[in-house]
Amino acid sequence: MSDAPQEHADRLPAATAVPTSTPTSTPTSTPTSTPTSTPTNPPVPYEDGHWRRMHPTTPAIKGWKVLVAVVAVAGYQVSDNIDDVSGLMHGRWLLAFVGVLVVVALVGFGYSALAWRATRFQVTDDAVHLHTGVLSRQQRQARLDRLQAVDVVQPLLARLVGLSELKLELAGGNGSAFSLAYLRDDDATALRAELLALAAGLHRDAGPATAGAVATTGPSSSTTVALDEATSAGDGLLGAPGAPQVASPTSTPAHAPALPAFADAPERPVYELPMPRLLLATLRSGASVFVVLAITASAAIAVAARDIGAAFVMIPMLLGLVGFVWSRINQGASFRAAISPDGIRLRHGLTEARTQTVPPGRVQAISLGQGPWWRGPDWWRVEMNVAGYAHADKQQDDTVLHPVASRDEAMAAVWLVLPDLGVPDPQATLDAAMHGRDDDGGFTPAPRRARWVDPIGWRRHGVLVTDRALITRSGRIFRRVEVVPHERTQSIGAEQGPLQRRLGIASFVLHSTPGPVRPSVAHLDQAVVAALLDEQAERARTARASAGPEQWMTRREVP
Amino acid sequence: MSEPFDPTDVTWNHVSPRLAHARWTGIALVWGVVVACLVVVAVATGAAWVWVPAALVAAFAVWSAWITGRQVRALMYAERADDLLIRRGIMFRQLVVVPYGRMQYVDVTAGPVARRFGIASVQLHTASPATTATIDGLPPEEAARLRDRLASRGEARLAGL
Repeated sequence: MSDAPQEHADRLPAATAVPTSTPTSTPTSTPTSTPTSTPTNPPVPYEDGHWRRMHPTTPAIKGWKVLVAVVAVAGYQVSDNIDDVSGLMHGRWLLAFVGVLVVVALVGFGYSALAWRATRFQVTDDAVHLHTGVLSRQQRQARLDRLQAVDVVQPLLARLVGLSELKLELAGGNGSAFSLAYLRDDDATALRAELLALAAGLHRDAGPATAGAVATTGPSSSTTVALDEATSAGDGLLGAPGAPQVASPTSTPAHAPALPAFADAPERPVYELPMPRLLLATLRSGASVFVVLAITASAAIAVAARDIGAAFVMIPMLLGLVGFVWSRINQGASFRAAISPDGIRLRHGLTEARTQTVPPGRVQAISLGQGPWWRGPDWWRVEMNVAGYAHADKQQDDTVLHPVASRDEAMAAVWLVLPDLGVPDPQATLDAAMHGRDDDGGFTPAPRRARWVDPIGWRRHGVLVTDRALITRSGRIFRRVEVVPHERTQSIGAEQGPLQRRLGIASFVLHSTPGPVRPSVAHLDQAVVAALLDEQAERARTARASAGPEQWMTRREVP
Repeated sequence: MSEPFDPTDVTWNHVSPRLAHARWTGIALVWGVVVACLVVVAVATGAAWVWVPAALVAAFAVWSAWITGRQVRALMYAERADDLLIRRGIMFRQLVVVPYGRMQYVDVTAGPVARRFGIASVQLHTASPATTATIDGLPPEEAARLRDRLASRGEARLAGL
């Protein structure tokens, strides 16, 4: 605590070392040179990135979590013997209880405040730097061209006070996401626009020489041109009224007009999930069938055992199922998808609102799934693999492209990821993938002899290779379609068991980044698999060579 | 051409037979101890039936040693111009094709037993955890050569995700 102000002062420019004197250090007045990313160097004015802080009320919001967690644990502990506890809830004991709560709250808020002090981040032209940690300090740097997705998350409490968390997803596995919590809603959106624009390969227009002229027209007009070119939406961009500046005690409003900002990219809505459909679809899912079964079973047990207590054995299972149904509804509520030059933008969530932005070329694979209960209305659940969203240990809430898609919306979802499927009639092809069997739509089906190893589903097994992607189709009762763009193929494999070998069939596996989609087709003719192995490696190679660059806006400039 | 596990234009490299020795050592260490314990118990108690599990465990160890020998002979790899092929298994066969450009990093590992037999493992990692591209049983110099070769080829064909 004591050394923090000093350390902070180290990072300010020598000339303007005192935070309160920042009005003199606006970019217009100090045309400084190149980006510096080392934290020990004095920060340069905004166009090269300066150190920013989270919103000062962050500790107040994060501190509550500690208190709630402690109370929840305590509540869980005492819930067994309520009688004993109620005897203690008066006089001195109550005082002690309140005292402990206050201490916990103080510790929680105090720690959060320290953490807030220690947290600062900086955005340069090609990287984000984040410094965190109270006891053990951590400095992380993320290259913007490796950015996989940007999420704006608003947990319930933060949402009430107009704050949000900005999450930068990177492909480093668990814990690789950068979490910037909490920022004002406007700041978070503006920062997202800025990060995406930089990640796309656009630049803040400011070279050293032109730094003085940055103020308003330069960057925003270049942004407008590039974005227009990419969308051909013709909307144009407004010249960024709100600058992406984090309100912090050290900054003053004098910064705002001078900061070059990227406006949020224009977006076009593609589909929206009506709430009634989500509720109906969740009711029709396997989980609710199990809920009904569980209730019936527990009632039957209770009746048979003539003891109402016997019914409670099913309670944990029931709770689990209810939790699952709730999370489906909570996450799928008001699900909307839009397309923008920054990529796919998904908005969803009932209590916790989440806005995801997945830039072009970041979706590694998609799958469409349909259980038997969704057959009638022809609903599909569309999921995707994005390298940054790989959390193996938790319930996936960010890899859903559409929770309950109608047939047309499912096709639209595929179109979002792959505007060009590489076939003359994408609708017919997808239709064949979703509903067809045998060689409908040009699919290569499993041979008839595969019925010995898969008597029910063998007619659905099939694969289709288009110019742009590989489409697999499987499952008769639980239908499944997977689409993998050729340039996103990681590695490929073939497997063959003894029975398959006798029948001359083999399974084809395509390895994608971690996520809900694991593309594979079982029981194809082994000659087909051999050809696939041979050609797919080649196709993936050529597709990668011609694929767009990581910085998706630089496409035109790269030969 | 109809054989997916034997592409026509490929010459397979077999791994070192010393891998079988290393694995046999492992089997002997684990199952040998179990068998020894059972034999000691059988001799000490004089109960005839204790010999039955001892014999069963010994038979299982011999069987797995035999399988291991076959598996090691079936484990092979091939470097093509743009990708690495790894093939394994006889009953349940597997073939993995890993493009060099998809490689994220290479691991070379050698445990105490492997070092004793002068072999090492090379594992390729792509962005997909499903890629099981491990080549066990390479002589250290071959492992080092393969590692460098893979690294340089990966660099030449570098791509993002």
